Amino acid sequence: MNISEKEIDHLAELSNLSLEKDEKKALEKDLQNIFKYISKLNELDTENVEPTYQVFEMENVWRKDEILPQDADREALLALSKEQEDNQIKVPKVL
Amino acid sequence: MSDKKYQITIGIETHVQLKTKTKLFSEVDNDARGKEPNSCVSPVDYALPGMLPRLNEDAVKLAIRAGSAMNAKINSRSRFDRKHYFYPDSPKGYQITQFFSPIIGEGSITLPSGKKIRIEHAHLEGDAGKLSHFDSYSLVDLNRVDTPLLEIVSMPDISSAEEARDYCKELWRNMVYAGVTNGDLYNGNMRFDVNISLKKPEDKALGTRAEIKNLNSFRSVERAVEYEYSRQSKLLDNGEKVIQETRGWSDATGKTTSQRSKENAQDYRYMPEPDLAPLNLSEDFIKTEYEKCPELPEDYRKRFKNSVSSDTIEIILDYPELARRLAEVEENNSNEDTVNYIANLFSSVLLAEENSSLLNDPLPDALKLSELAEMKAKNELSSTSAKEVFLKMFEEKHLGKSARILAKELNLIQENDSSALEKIVETVLLNPSTKKAQEDYRSGQEKVLGFLVGQVMKESKGKANPSAVSEILKKKLK
Repeated sequence: MNISEKEIDHLAELSNLSLEKDEKKALEKDLQNIFKYISKLNELDTENVEPTYQVFEMENVWRKDEILPQDADREALLALSKEQEDNQIKVPKVL
Repeated sequence: MSDKKYQITIGIETHVQLKTKTKLFSEVDNDARGKEPNSCVSPVDYALPGMLPRLNEDAVKLAIRAGSAMNAKINSRSRFDRKHYFYPDSPKGYQITQFFSPIIGEGSITLPSGKKIRIEHAHLEGDAGKLSHFDSYSLVDLNRVDTPLLEIVSMPDISSAEEARDYCKELWRNMVYAGVTNGDLYNGNMRFDVNISLKKPEDKALGTRAEIKNLNSFRSVERAVEYEYSRQSKLLDNGEKVIQETRGWSDATGKTTSQRSKENAQDYRYMPEPDLAPLNLSEDFIKTEYEKCPELPEDYRKRFKNSVSSDTIEIILDYPELARRLAEVEENNSNEDTVNYIANLFSSVLLAEENSSLLNDPLPDALKLSELAEMKAKNELSSTSAKEVFLKMFEEKHLGKSARILAKELNLIQENDSSALEKIVETVLLNPSTKKAQEDYRSGQEKVLGFLVGQVMKESKGKANPSAVSEILKKKLK
């Protein structure tokens, strides 16, 4: 299967990325290779094999419903964003 | 909707915020009411590199209890998936949900009319953050990120605006009674997405549907369905097509409007969530939680069927604490009249507009209420006095007092003792100011009896039983 430019555009749009022509070309090639590599798995016969969703074979891993202090406070976390206003993260207008 | 040209088919997806102490995947406060923006947030909510979600056990338990309230099958095996989308309300770039294997399977909600609406499934997922929009920018508050949600998906069994409203209300009641949510609609604790399509009665296939997103009141659900019926039927009448799309509702304009942004945006690229282990719940675990579900509206309807009118029951059922207190009154005293009397005090006195602030105060306990009902039944209190005692029971200075002590203090206990009453009647009849009325009555003007009863009531300082007074007067004036 080939990855078309149209699919690159679609994926870029879903991820809100704006790509230059040469970037698209490079990605097309990279994704093609990744896809080919992964496609090798299709050669295996998985007819009677249950799908694997995770590899640790753990189940019911959960925690108690208790509030715990966090490593980073509001100010530290907000500081990670590009712009802030009134203790909120400021982003370009959406909607 | 008297116009029966088209049949309407409705399915509803409901998001219920679960009232856990912490969020679904992080150990921060899940109750952000009245708190500052971004004050209930952890590095996990920010999706910082390397942060891993940690599942909240109680969210799983509340989901099971919610399933019990819908008489639903609980799937012992379920797991989580990622639903990808790019929007500032979700720092992760995806929502963690249960797309392939939800925790709750088929169930049903029975409407007050008796109609059953089937539940297709319900699944756990994290809520998104809150955006506020301004002229040239938007602000992001992540307090709501990963608040546990249970999304409940109904089958398309709903066939009118009224039924849509009834379904939402009954589901809300069941979730609130089950104790899985605070159920505060104003603050978005439950939100409804309504799918609506029309078809001609003779058509087999369903029509194209529109989805009205994010309704947060029963009334707006009803109005949005009515509006969609007229919008879609006009399109169909003109030979046009209904477009499958998401629409928003405005309470102010009473209209739905298209929210389509990009044609191909709906590509969520679901994949199993590798950071969370699947659930494999034991029968015991499920049973324990399933049985924790307390009495539900349907149980209360059965309980009060013989004592309280169904209209009154439906009013009371909107207030879980009233239904529970009424049940305690019933358990105290199996007398149906007592239960009915207290039910009516709740529905017509406590829930009257002018007393609405009392609902925030603790309710009088069942013993006090039963005693009050008995005093009323024995005519020790007139109905006006009984209402007065009931209302005074909410006042802080009267909290420790029984109904009898309070009635005595307020000097409201009615005189039923006939010899005492006769004395008062005689005093009144001896008063010259009643002489004319007495003559009028004797000459056949029976309606002046009311005036005389009033005079006796006044003389007794309101404590005489008016019907007993009336009987004595009739005897004396023969």
